[in-house]
Amino acid sequence: MAAAGYCNRFCSAGWHPTIQFIRHGSKAVTRHWKAMHIVREKLMAVTKYIPPKPPIPVECMKPLVKPVIEENGFTKILRRQVEQTFRENNMIAVCQYNYAPGSDIVLMRHRLRKYNIHAKFFPNEIIIPFLLESKYKNLLPLFVGRNLILVSPETRAKEMLRVLKSIPQINLLGACIDNTILSKEGVANYAKLPSMVAAQGEVVGALSLLTSQTSTLLQRGPAHLTSLLEQYVKQQSSEEVKQGDGS
Amino acid sequence: MWKWLGRPILADSKTAAGSSSIKIFTAGLKKYALPPDYSGITIPDRTKLRFVERAPNLPKARREFKNLRDIRGPSSEATEFTDGQYGILAMGGGYLRWGHFEMIRLTINRHINPKRMFAVWRVPPPYKPITHKGLGQRMGGGKGAIDHYVTAVKAGRLIVEVGGYVEFGEVERFLTQVAKKLPFPAIAVSRESLQKMRDMEEERRQNNQNPWTFERIITSNMLGIRKFLSPYDLQLKGRFWGKFFLPDRV
Repeated sequence: MAAAGYCNRFCSAGWHPTIQFIRHGSKAVTRHWKAMHIVREKLMAVTKYIPPKPPIPVECMKPLVKPVIEENGFTKILRRQVEQTFRENNMIAVCQYNYAPGSDIVLMRHRLRKYNIHAKFFPNEIIIPFLLESKYKNLLPLFVGRNLILVSPETRAKEMLRVLKSIPQINLLGACIDNTILSKEGVANYAKLPSMVAAQGEVVGALSLLTSQTSTLLQRGPAHLTSLLEQYVKQQSSEEVKQGDGS
Repeated sequence: MWKWLGRPILADSKTAAGSSSIKIFTAGLKKYALPPDYSGITIPDRTKLRFVERAPNLPKARREFKNLRDIRGPSSEATEFTDGQYGILAMGGGYLRWGHFEMIRLTINRHINPKRMFAVWRVPPPYKPITHKGLGQRMGGGKGAIDHYVTAVKAGRLIVEVGGYVEFGEVERFLTQVAKKLPFPAIAVSRESLQKMRDMEEERRQNNQNPWTFERIITSNMLGIRKFLSPYDLQLKGRFWGKFFLPDRV
């Protein structure tokens, strides 16, 4: 009781250098684990042992050597074929390929081959890395899902469209004809154009028509004049004859 | 490989099925590990643990205070080996009663071979009287009668030592068996393992990455922390809490 009274008196008096706090009552050594004061627990937590950082392992210091992965032979062949296809063909049409029952695909390929158009199947893993590096980069958005490429060294869009019309499972997405990327409508418009020889003949005809017209126009005036003069001369000569008879 | 080594050079052409047809004739020399050096070990006359008296022989038994201070903090006596090579080390404070002494004595004496091993006590027989009021007695009437005697043991003290022409692996098993039954945490140690433990402790103290050590904070009384600490903490440096030893602290 007295001790408690002291404490109250000391605590209320505030801190003074001459006043010492009295520890009283409780045992410091006990048979059981005595709970520490919260401040002491905090002190114990703050002053915990911190081990030194382990030295950096040798594996972390030297650069990681990546094992060289040997490329599959089949992949190599496919890549080479893709490169060859894109190099040698003028018309490259990209189609969406859906499953067609029976021998429709075989028949279609056969019909296309008549016009020297070949259907090629390449996996996207092969074709996309190739396109990324080549000048056909803008064709990339077309290569989604399962694709079929129709290629030909000639540009026979009309025949191709005619054959594709018979197979609804294959949708034309776009094409690259003579280094020009065309949409589906673009390909249809392109197919409507006449062939190169016919177009050239037409141009030549049109050009020659104009020149011939010019020449005829230019020649018509003098010809008319000459005919008129001839007529006049003829008339004059006939009058002279009449006068000579009369006199 | 050992088959080839074991077989002499005159092994026939009959090789074991499945092995390669090329025979390698090698004459090996087997080397054995050197036996441990026991020079300098003398076995005393009494190799077994002595019987411990239950109570000291005093002309007049005086009742003492509880005085729990005698199990707090690190031990200053019997911390180093004297004769033996192996022992039981106390990892906390506590009181050994006569029953513990008997248990240690009987277990160790049963396991040691007295012709080549010996064991010695490193603790005194029970000396501290513990009083006890009988069952069903009313409170008051002064201090009770002396019930039994105990021996106070502080952390870091060796309880028994075992030595002789033995290796640690032979004695570790029964020393651990004894250590588990003691009233405080204890382990079986050898001279080498004890030294290693102390070296490790010193190395931890040297390489502590925490700049805020217990000693530094309380000696400079940071934030008035001494208000919540005891003066004993200046000596014990946070490594002991009551009778408990905190081996993880530095």
